[in-house]
This record gives sequence, C-alpha cells and structure tokens, in this order.
Amino acid sequence: MDIARRLRPAGPGSHPRRARSPGLSIVTVEGDRGAMPTSDELTELMRAVATQRDRPAFALLFKHFAPRLKTYLVRGGSSESEAEDFAQEAMVSVWRKAASFDPERAQVSTWIFTIARNLRIDRQRRGAHGQEVSDDEALDAAVDTSPAPDERLATLRRDSDIHHALAQLTPEQALIVRLSFFDEHPHARIASELQIPLGTVKSRIRLAVTHLRRLLGPHE
Amino acid sequence: MMTTIHHHPDDEWLLGLAAGRLDSGAALVVGAHVEGCAHCRARVAGFESVGGALLETLEPALLAPESLARTLSRLDAVPTPRTAPARQPTPKPPLPPGIAWPRVMQDCGVTRWRWLGPGMYWSRATLPHDSAANVFLLRIGAGKCLPRHTHSEVELTQVLCGAFDDGRATFAQGDFDATDGTIRHQPVVHAGAECICLASVRGKVLFDGTVARVLGAMVGM
Repeated sequence: MDIARRLRPAGPGSHPRRARSPGLSIVTVEGDRGAMPTSDELTELMRAVATQRDRPAFALLFKHFAPRLKTYLVRGGSSESEAEDFAQEAMVSVWRKAASFDPERAQVSTWIFTIARNLRIDRQRRGAHGQEVSDDEALDAAVDTSPAPDERLATLRRDSDIHHALAQLTPEQALIVRLSFFDEHPHARIASELQIPLGTVKSRIRLAVTHLRRLLGPHE
Repeated sequence: MMTTIHHHPDDEWLLGLAAGRLDSGAALVVGAHVEGCAHCRARVAGFESVGGALLETLEPALLAPESLARTLSRLDAVPTPRTAPARQPTPKPPLPPGIAWPRVMQDCGVTRWRWLGPGMYWSRATLPHDSAANVFLLRIGAGKCLPRHTHSEVELTQVLCGAFDDGRATFAQGDFDATDGTIRHQPVVHAGAECICLASVRGKVLFDGTVARVLGAMVGM
C-alpha cells in the first residue's frame, strides 16, 4: 500500500484518519501524537520526495518535522521569527538534497537532524560576520562525518535501539544529553537544572555521554 | 598510509561535533581527526542518531499559518544542481609526500611556514567564517623539542604526520590530544621524521622560559 497516500491529509476519495479542524491541518497538536509516522513511513515519504518529487509526501514530512525544527532553534536561543524562517529553510534543504538521502545509512530523523545542524552552524556564521555562505558542499565539508561506503551498514542504527539506549539513561543523564544537543548554553543550564556548581558540570556531562556511548556501543 | 590510531577525542568532543555545539576551531581539529578515524566516525554517527531521535521528541512549535504554503512556493525557486566544477581548495604550503591536508580544511587559509626556532616552523590557519578562531600548525624537525609549556584553557591537537612524545604518551599520525592547564608538557619529536600538528587553542599557550614566552607572544599562540 502506498504509504504516502495513506498518510496524506484527507482529500477527495480518501478517509481522514481523525477529525481535525481545518486550520490545524499542518500543525501537530498534542492529541496528534498517536498519529506520529513510524520511521518506515518516514523513509517511504523521503523516497517519494527523492524519486518522484512528490509534494504531498513532502508536505507530510513538513508537517512532522518543521514544527520540531522550529523548536530546535527556539531552544537554541533564536527568536520566533528566526526559528520560523529556519524551519522553512531547513525543509527546502530537505527537498533539495533528497536525492542524497540513503536509508541504508541513516534514519530520516537523523538525516534531517544533520541537515538542520549544518544549516544552524551556517546561519550562526553568517550572522556573526554578515557573509553569505551559499555553498552547501563547503558547509557539509565543515562537519563531514560521512562514513565510507563499507561502513554504512555498520553505522545505521534502528530507532528502537536509540530509544532503548536513551531509556536506560538516568533521568539526570537524559536531561544532560538533551540539553547538550539543544540548549543555547548547555553548561549553565545543566548547572541550574541539576543545582550543581558549574565546575562539576563537565564531569557530569562526561559520565552521561560515556554512558550513552556504551549503550550505543554494540554497533562499533 | 594505514596507521593505528591510539588517541581519540573523548566522547564529549564527538557528541559536541555531532550536536554542532563545538566552537569552529575545535570543530575543525576534531573534524580532522574524525575524517581519518573509522572508530570515531562510528561514534559520531551514533550520536547523530541520538540527535535525530531527540529531534523527534521535541515538542512541536506552532508554525506561522502560511508556513507550508510559503515553503512549497520556495521549492519552485530551487536551483538545479550546480554544474560548475567543485571549488578549488585554498592554496596551502606543501606537506611531506603521502600526507594530505584534511578535507575539513579545504576552505581554510594557511600561511606559508614561518620560522619559529631551529628546525621549528609554524603557520596560521584562518577559518573562512571565524576570524577569531586561534588555529595554527606546528612543524617540528626530527628530534627537536618544543619549549615546556601549559595552556590557560584548552588546546586540541591532531597529528598530521610524524610522532612526538611528551612524557605522558606517544602521539603519532592520526592521533588526537586535548590538553589544558592541568598538563605542563614538553613535546619531543621522534627521530627519523618531522612532525606536523594541527592545533586549536582557546585561551593562551603559556611557555615557561622568557624567550619562549616572547616567541609565543610574537606568533600570537
């Protein structure tokens, strides 16, 4: 069955998955959690975008990721309007780079995360120096962690493995990891959230990250 | 050339790279290590997967009402893939035969080798979008040693070729080292071949002797 079609918002001849007020059609609300696409579904959508330039599939990816990409920037200290613009630009990048998505190498969420991460670094640099950084390849080279072809299978991690690893962290360690990824000033924030002196934050981070890596370990 | 890498960046550096949270100098040096180290690439890939999973757990923000429509309209303006040849890397001074500049440095400016002392040369690397980053290269002749020094904050080093020993361990081609004010060391290059290192310093390198201090101040390390 065509997964893109099944996930597509209600249209002529299809059945809505749930009643939704029209104005909220592209906004993921709390009650929508149950309808989160699975990682296989996201992969199918990405394939449709890459091979058929499928706009409805893209719209579904947008609906899932754009609101989260916006949050990603807001957490990092950006304004509402910067974050909105960022989310749109990141999704345009997803469209443009779709052909380079390789499901044997990364989950859709991982791939989109790396695109967003590189774009965020790019914008920071532009912001700091007022220069246009237009060459995507140059930017990607700046954070080039792509594995060699023979490593690809070894680096693909299933969603369930990642969630399993995260679930085994203590709540404090999970918080540290989350803030390390998303907070504008992770060290200061970790110190205040955990109510520990700034001087001890480094060793807490070290413990948390080492624990996480061990949990991810079998892939090495 | 295949070499065995013994010294890797700690997990925090690799997670920082995966999260995009390192300053540009650190990202360059850690990136130079990772591109030559399958072990660390696998770790970074693992942390990137965590980034992807966490992205999905972020609470969705409310988008502007025209957000999707505006994005869809921008898709039409997407340029066709560039057919122009890939950009040429910036010119750099020569390295010993068989040694290549790390790909992460392709857009960095690298000055010619400048004399630092007998058998010792240095070169400044400028990052295209961060003129404040303090990144340099040291090229030290076989058997030579750097003056004893420590660091006010943190220094990251990636060995591009050759090997040195600083009393703690031997660091050879492909190895990475992070030092800070808790480490006072005097790297001695192994006999037989010169050693070239890429280094990023936050804070200052603090040399022990007066002459070395003056030299250090001169080159702005």
